[in-house]
Amino acid sequence: MAEFSTSVKEMGDISIINLKGYLDAHTAPTLENNFTQLIGNNKFKIVVNFEDLAYISSAGLGVFMAYIENIRENNGDIKLANMSDKVFNIFDLLGFPLLYEIYKHEDEAIKKFSGS
Amino acid sequence: MNKIPGNIISRQLQLFLLAVMVIVIFKVFYGSPDTFILKLFFDLLVGAAIYFLVLALIRFENSRSSTPLSLVLNVGILLAVMFFIIMFSDYLLSGIFENIHLKISDPGLVYNIVSVIYVLVFISIISFFLVILRHFFYMNQTRSTRIYFNTMLVFFVMASVSLNLLGEGETTFIITTFFVVSILLMIFNSIRNSWIAFLTKREKIYLLVLTFFITALFIVNISNSSGENIYTQLISDFSPSLKQFNHIIMIYGSIYFFILFFTTLFHLPTAEAYDRKAQEVTSLQYFSKLITEVLDFNELAETVTEIAQKLSGANASWIIWKNGAKLNSVAAKNIGFIESDKISGKILERITVEKLTSTKTFNLNEKYSDDDSENSFSMVSVSPIKTRGETQGVLVAAKPTGQIFSMDDLNAIETFSDYASVALENSRLLEESIEKERLEKELDVAREIQRKILPLKSPEIPNLQISSVFIPAFEVGGDYYDFFRISESKLGFVIADVSGKGISAAFIMAEVKGIFESLSKTIQAPKEILIKANEILWQTLDSKSFVSAAYGFFDFKEEKLTFARAGHCPLYLLRENGSREIKPSGLGLGLSDNINFNNSLEEYSIDLKGNDTIVLYTDGVTEAKNENLEDFGDKLFMNLLHSNKELTAEELSNKIIHEISVFSSGHEQYDDITLVIFKWQQKI
Repeated sequence: MAEFSTSVKEMGDISIINLKGYLDAHTAPTLENNFTQLIGNNKFKIVVNFEDLAYISSAGLGVFMAYIENIRENNGDIKLANMSDKVFNIFDLLGFPLLYEIYKHEDEAIKKFSGS
Repeated sequence: MNKIPGNIISRQLQLFLLAVMVIVIFKVFYGSPDTFILKLFFDLLVGAAIYFLVLALIRFENSRSSTPLSLVLNVGILLAVMFFIIMFSDYLLSGIFENIHLKISDPGLVYNIVSVIYVLVFISIISFFLVILRHFFYMNQTRSTRIYFNTMLVFFVMASVSLNLLGEGETTFIITTFFVVSILLMIFNSIRNSWIAFLTKREKIYLLVLTFFITALFIVNISNSSGENIYTQLISDFSPSLKQFNHIIMIYGSIYFFILFFTTLFHLPTAEAYDRKAQEVTSLQYFSKLITEVLDFNELAETVTEIAQKLSGANASWIIWKNGAKLNSVAAKNIGFIESDKISGKILERITVEKLTSTKTFNLNEKYSDDDSENSFSMVSVSPIKTRGETQGVLVAAKPTGQIFSMDDLNAIETFSDYASVALENSRLLEESIEKERLEKELDVAREIQRKILPLKSPEIPNLQISSVFIPAFEVGGDYYDFFRISESKLGFVIADVSGKGISAAFIMAEVKGIFESLSKTIQAPKEILIKANEILWQTLDSKSFVSAAYGFFDFKEEKLTFARAGHCPLYLLRENGSREIKPSGLGLGLSDNINFNNSLEEYSIDLKGNDTIVLYTDGVTEAKNENLEDFGDKLFMNLLHSNKELTAEELSNKIIHEISVFSSGHEQYDDITLVIFKWQQKI
């Protein structure tokens, strides 16, 4: 289908993953690699920025479920930010707001990490 | 040899033995023939014996498929045997026959038998020479091979018998003519020796030595057989024609091997170059065969380095292959991976893989070796291996310190790396298409599972129209819906969408069907059913899989619809005075443990009125895309439903599907589309 790419930037002990394009069953492994690498480097405080994400499929949502348990066990978290309404609706429909902290803006998520 | 049909061999040998027996009888009765007729008859007998023996030997020779070199050696051995027989027959036979001259004039039975055996040995030897010489001659088979050879044989026979039959005198010129023509034909037929070109240098030297001795032995035997000794006396007494024939064959042999000697000699200087060319040709042939046969990348890489090593005369060869961002040594030949990696590192300091376009050589001044100096490679040649127009790897050939690559080596390896590129590209394409085919097969299975899981038709209920449409995506999307007859007055339904695609989604779908089928039989409340389902799926699904579902039931007596939503798309209610989206809260199944799940899940009831229409769907409907990748969308969907709510369930669903297919005609259907519509028909 369409392209998908990620970029990771570090802010102290917080890692920010920027998503771009279409996240589905075919592109999910890219994001999985990002998470595996961060966890491997003991980076458990992760903010995912959805600003440039055009679409997310159920398989894309699954990526977050796959790592959250491990990350929370290590006193970390995945916080989601900058979702478009469309992407938020997909998360909302499945009840993800109950499972994840979703912020309007990346800064809020970072602040939350720093505060705690 | 035991494979040869025995009867054929024995038939020719039988005929040969028959001829021999007749010869013996003839000898006993007539001694040496003196009239023309008897002479002719006897020569015919001897000729027939030789003929049948030659036929038998040709058959034998063809069956053992020996190399030319071994045949040459056979000739040498036979010549030596012949030489010793001639040498020693004087001592041995003079003991038996005290005076050979007396015996010839007055032969007894013993003499006749001994002379026949003696002659038979020579007949066998010259027959064998003839067969071997014929074999060499037939190695350059052309259309006229047979004619040339047979013409020569005819002249041999003529030259042999003419002396005996015609005697000396006025007709001598005929004898001389036959003899001279025979010699000319021998020379003419000995020139074609192109088979030696295919020998290696070592074999040529071996052949040169052999032919030298063989030619010498032939000449010695010829001079021996023309002197005054028992051999000449015995054989010319037996048959002068045979003696002459023997002589001619010996001359033929000496001419043939004399010419062979010089041809080999002249071939020697070019032997090495020829060897290399021959090796190149065979390697390339071998390789072009590989291109079509070897499918596996690793296997192919092994072969590439093996051939590269041979072609360039290098001691070691390997490929530096780009695997993502990493460069690895693969298929190392004659060198360990640790060492080849070390040398690769040095090579990569000097070249960039992507920029390598032609073969280059380096002298890595430093020695690279584990411990011994024998394997210290410092001369390396590097050639690009290109796939899809990009240099994807480097074919490395390495020689020990002190050796260099010749231009020929480099040309060979350069050409070869092009072949290797094509072959490796082919194997990659093939792997891709095999993988694609495998995926397609898998998807076929997934679609089959899905088809069997979904209900064949919607149930028929008196005052409830039910219409369901399912359109599978190419990659199975994991949509599932079902109806359950709970009781006379109650109909349960479920709609679900499994996360992910393909075969794994299809298997989860099957599990989900099982769960809802069994739960709907024992539990009535949608909320409870979904809680139970979550409990099971939370435990069985892997962490990244989940299922969105909505479960509910119609109560026809109470005229009520009760349902709960676990992360699934909302339900639409179409009603005269207010259509609306109904979206009670609820987490997807398998996302969280029951504490979270229970707390979030709401159950919702609607009192059915008039011609209420209930629409259930999966996100394949609202996320259907057009050519600009825009979604069909909730709004358009809702508007369409609302403005067509007067239609029957069937008509409405047709209308929606039609609109979706028009909207998304410019884009491939990416997800399963499921649409289930219920239309209530209140009893009046």
